[in-house]
This record gives sequence, C-alpha cells and structure tokens, in this order.
Amino acid sequence: MIALAIIVVLLPLAPALATAVTARARPLGTVAVASGASTLAVAVAIAADVGGGHRVHALSGFLYLDPLSGFFLATIALVVALASLGSAAYVRAQEQRGELRPLQVRLYFIFFAVFAAMMLASFETGNLGLLWVLIEASTLASCVLVGLEGKPVSLEAAWKYIIISSFGVTIALVGTLFLYFAASSLPGSPTEHLTWSYLFTHAHALSAQSLRLAFLLALIGYGTKVGLAPMHTWLPDAHSEAPSPASAMLSAALLNTGMYAIIRFQALTRAQLGTHYAARILLIFGFASVIVGALFIVLRGNYKRLFAYSSVEHMGIIAIALGFGGVLGFYGALLHTLTHAIGKAVLFLTSGDLVLRYRTRLVDEVRGVLSVTPLTGAVLLLGALAIAGSPPFGLFLSEFTIVRAGLQRSSIVLVAGLLVLLGVVFVALVGAAAGMALGGSPDRPTSAPAYAERSGRLLAATPLVAGLGLLLLLGVWIPGGLDQLIMNSIRAIS
Amino acid sequence: MPISVVFESLSASSPEGVLLDVAAVLILLCAFACLGSKLFDRYVIYYGAQSIVLSFAAAVVALHQGDAGLWVLAGLTFLIKGLGIPYGTRHFLIERFALKRDVSLSTGLSSSLIFGAFLTAFAFLAIRSDTVPDALVAQAVLPISTAVILLGALCMVVRRHTIAQLIGWLIIENGVFLGAIATVATFPFIVEAGVFLDLVAAVLIMIAFVSGLARQLAEASAPELRQLTE
Repeated sequence: MIALAIIVVLLPLAPALATAVTARARPLGTVAVASGASTLAVAVAIAADVGGGHRVHALSGFLYLDPLSGFFLATIALVVALASLGSAAYVRAQEQRGELRPLQVRLYFIFFAVFAAMMLASFETGNLGLLWVLIEASTLASCVLVGLEGKPVSLEAAWKYIIISSFGVTIALVGTLFLYFAASSLPGSPTEHLTWSYLFTHAHALSAQSLRLAFLLALIGYGTKVGLAPMHTWLPDAHSEAPSPASAMLSAALLNTGMYAIIRFQALTRAQLGTHYAARILLIFGFASVIVGALFIVLRGNYKRLFAYSSVEHMGIIAIALGFGGVLGFYGALLHTLTHAIGKAVLFLTSGDLVLRYRTRLVDEVRGVLSVTPLTGAVLLLGALAIAGSPPFGLFLSEFTIVRAGLQRSSIVLVAGLLVLLGVVFVALVGAAAGMALGGSPDRPTSAPAYAERSGRLLAATPLVAGLGLLLLLGVWIPGGLDQLIMNSIRAIS
Repeated sequence: MPISVVFESLSASSPEGVLLDVAAVLILLCAFACLGSKLFDRYVIYYGAQSIVLSFAAAVVALHQGDAGLWVLAGLTFLIKGLGIPYGTRHFLIERFALKRDVSLSTGLSSSLIFGAFLTAFAFLAIRSDTVPDALVAQAVLPISTAVILLGALCMVVRRHTIAQLIGWLIIENGVFLGAIATVATFPFIVEAGVFLDLVAAVLIMIAFVSGLARQLAEASAPELRQLTE
C-alpha cells in the first residue's frame, strides 16, 4: 500500500523526465497520456483499498491515507488523466502553428507534471505542515503554466495569481501556526501536534480560542486557493490566460486541493467547537462566492472567464454544502466535488478546441460551433447544461442532494436564495453556450480546423466524450464502490 | 515539552524578552519606514534592515531554547532575506529598469501612514484581549507581528507598482515569522516554511524580471494597466 502511495506521486512525473530527451510535443504528449492513465489506475486502486474504511498511517503521520484522501486522490487523478489527453492534443496543435517554442513545450510538460504530482501528494500526508508546503508547491508549479504564453496579459495574470495566492498561503501558514498553538497543552511530540489524525482524536483538548482563529485563518488562506469570494480575484485571470488543459487542471484539481485542506480543518473545528461556528463561516463565504459567480456569469464577455466564474460559483456551492453539514450535506459536497471536477475539465478542454479554432476568447465572436465542428459544439452545449445543473447529469444529483441537506438542516430562506442564484446561473450559462453552439453562420471566416491530424482530433475528443459519459452515468447511477467511499469519507471526518 | 513551560522564562522581564521586544519594535519601525517612502531603493534598504533584525530575534530565541532549527532559520534569514533578496531586487529589477520614484500610489503618503497607525492600534486592541489564551511571550511581540502583517498588506493595497507589492508581501512574511518564532518556536516546519516562502519570493522576482512588468507599470498610467479587470 505504501508502495502504491509513492508510485501514484512519482508516475505523473514521467513527462517531466522525458523532456530531458526531447522537446517535441508528440512524444511528450504520448508519455503524458500513458502516465496520466496509469496514475488514474493506481489512484483508483488506492481509493478502492481505503474505501472500506481502512487507514494507512506511516512515517509518523507524514504518510496518511483514509477514505477522504482516497476520494480526493481518485478525483484529481481522473482530472489529471483527462487533462493529459487534452494537453497532448492542444500542445501539439500549438506547436505546429508555431505558437509555442520548444522551450515552452518543455516547460509546459515539466510543470504540468510537477503540478499534478504535488497535488496528488498533498492528499497523502497527514501532517498539516507538509500539506501546506505541498499546496504551496503546486501553486508555484501552476504559476509557470499560467504565464507560459509569455504575452503581457498572461504574465500579468501570472503575477496577479502568484501574489494573491502567496498572500493567501501565508495566511494559511498563520492558521496552521495557531492550530499548532492550540495543541500546545496536549502531550505528545511537536510533530504529533501537526498530525491530523492525532489532533482529530484529541480535538476535545485543543484550546478553543486558538482553534477558532486557526479555522478562520485557514479558511481565508486556503479559501484564496479555492477561489471563495472575496479572495477569488486571481481566478478568472489565471484561468483565462493559462493554456486550456492547464485551466482544466487549475479549475478541476487545484481548487479542490484547497477545499480538501479546508475540510480537514473543519473536521477538527467541529470536533471541538460543535458544528455551528464552522458552518456559519462556510455559509457566509459560500453564499458570497455563489453571488459573485452568478453576477459575473451574467456579464458574458470571455468564455474562459465565464467558466472560471462558474468555478467560483461551484466552489461556493461546495462550501455551502459543507456549511449545511450532516451526512446529506457532506455527501452532496463530495459528490459535487467529483461531478464539478469532471464537468469543468470537459468545459475547459472544449474551450481549448474553441481557442484553436476561432482564435478568440470572446463569447460573441464564436458562432455556430455545432455546424462547424459538430462534436465540439455538442460537448459545449451538453457540458454547459451539465455544469449548470440540469438533469440527467451528475451535477443535478449532487446539487439536489445539497438542497435536500439545506431543507433538512438549515432555513428555507437560505435554500430558496441558493435556488434563485442557481436559476440565474443556469439561464446565463446555457444562454451563452447556446449562442456559441447554435448561433447563425460564423461572422468571421473560420481558419484551419483545430487539429490538423486525425490522431490529434481523436486525442482531443477522447476526454470530452469520456467526461460527458461519466457525468451522465453519475447522474443516473452511483456505483456501489463510490457510494461506500463517500460514506466512509464522511465517517472519517465526523 | 509543552510550549507554555518553554516560554515561562521568556516573559517581558527576562533579558531575552526585552531583546525580543526591542527587535519587534525595530521591525515595526522598518515596516512604517517602507510605508512612508517613495524611493525604490529605500524600500529595499528598509526591508533588508528589517530582515536582519528578524534574524537577530530568531537568534535570541534559538539561544534561549538551544534549538538547532531556529539557528538555521536565523542564518538563512540573514543570508537570504537580509542580503540575497535585497541584492536581487536591486540588481535585477531596480537598476535594470532604472527605477527611481514610485509614483503609482493610490493614496498620499501621509494618509497611508495615518491608516497604518490605525492598523497598529487595532492590532494591539485585538491581541491584547485574551485571543491567545496562554501567551507568555514577551508582551509586545504578538501584537507587533500582527501589526507588521497588516502594514505589509496595506503596502500591497495602496501601491500599484509590482516592486512595492513584492516588498509588501515580503513584509507580511517577516511579520508572520516574527510571530512564529516568538509564540510557536517549536513548530516543526518552521525552517521548511521559511525556505519555501523564500522560494516564492525568488519566483516573484523572476516573474517581475522576465515580464519587465516593472517598467510597464512604472510608465503606464493606472487605467491602462487594467487590461484584465472587468
């Protein structure tokens, strides 16, 4: 098991090693796809192993796996696999057009690999100090991806991204320090005072005052990474300027990594202070995010920014679900994490195809995708429907669960407010996607197809079709293994 | 050993406690000096001085505790933050882009200083109450480190220039470490965290260098910079 845990972090690094031999996108993409697929297989094996409620605790807590880590590991590995397929196609196409130089291709695959490895590693540690280091390392790696295209706008986005995230992460460090301080009266070694499982079993003895501050600071700090409003301002810029497969990784993987850290802190806070304190704060930030997301989705403009604001909105929904709490609330939050990750990966990869085809990021300049490239158009339309929470896709089920949790455990006013906001988002998002997919004939003559070769088209289409298929599947049937994994994750944190 | 026992003797009256208090006050003054300055090379000088005082404070706590990790941190702080980062910023950014005066301020110097004073008062009021129950540290360190964090954030907010924002973030980081070495010196990840944030600082300098953002931001007027805002 320990061997598997190490392999799953090392596997994604394969493309980074391969860049030592070649700077061509085709072989690097092949390595990336192979490593992404095998990472997914190993992560699912780990999730299946810990899914039964089994825990792994080794190296004095530096390596720690429970069902919750298994769930996040499998989710992020799935995103990495989808984004690797997308990267193989996108980077090759950009290379052929001369948009990316060999150095940039190399940098892309190196930092994509490190980014994936750091995120996967952060789910495997029980030490909150190491968790902080790994999450910060993933920010550093992804920052290179945001600025990769080297244009002034993308460099400005990279600057904004790293300066705001570093600020957030410094606040998260202060939160971690306060947590350590809260544990100072416990017996046990300093390392144990940072080990999540030790803290969780001794949560009742943590100093309440310090723990309150620790949770608030950790939520603001890691919340910056998650993109909770009002700390979300880096998110639309970074998502719209990064190459599309990297945007998919940011939105579907990085945000969830931050949320994972918040869930761990929330578990400690609930165990000591009861549910109310953490719930209230999460609801405030959650609703702020959904409101900000909804307002900016209505504005349209740039479609990658549109999807980015949709991520802010969905992270808000997950925070609200965590705030509602209870088995239903947590079930909804975790299921929504998975369904949103798949849906958003699909949408950002689709946006990559659109960028290549139309060479613009503006909603109003993209018309008639369905007639120009039927597959991309269909995926865009269905993906937008799915992400907006329409049945029969998985997000409908998870949002429905969250609404039920709210009715059961919170006030009807909050639930009604959430439903109104979801309605606004639905109309705006589906409206924009429908305009792009259907529309009239394209205003501007469309240039060459997105992918010159058949193999490129196939590579680009695979993650889209696979992702949509999975979303459809999750909308009608939740496999027994997944259900058990989520239920045991909830048991692990309550 | 519980931290409360370790810090029993680090109270305000012990010689180490007094030294820590003095260091903290100097660090606060450096933050104010940065906030009140308009010249790029001054920012860097004040930041370097602040970091050297911080490394001294770390050495005091390290001596008190006999903690090897803190000695490493003190040495690294002196070398990297006291000398390396100021040199890097000056050499790669300020001289390369021939930067002199920071003109992209959103508020006047005096009003930002007054606001900084309010933030400092707020930090003292907020921390004086028993937010942190058994803090037996030298009295002033914790509220001052909070004030330094707030002043760094203020620097980032009222200045639009990349380098000013960079320095603001570095000041925040110094504030965090001042609080950390004084309250939770046995924190096992303190050296790693320090090294890591230095790495972030290096990346920040690199991005500013690669992009030449410094020049763009210095020359352009504020509205032209706002390409990315909605």
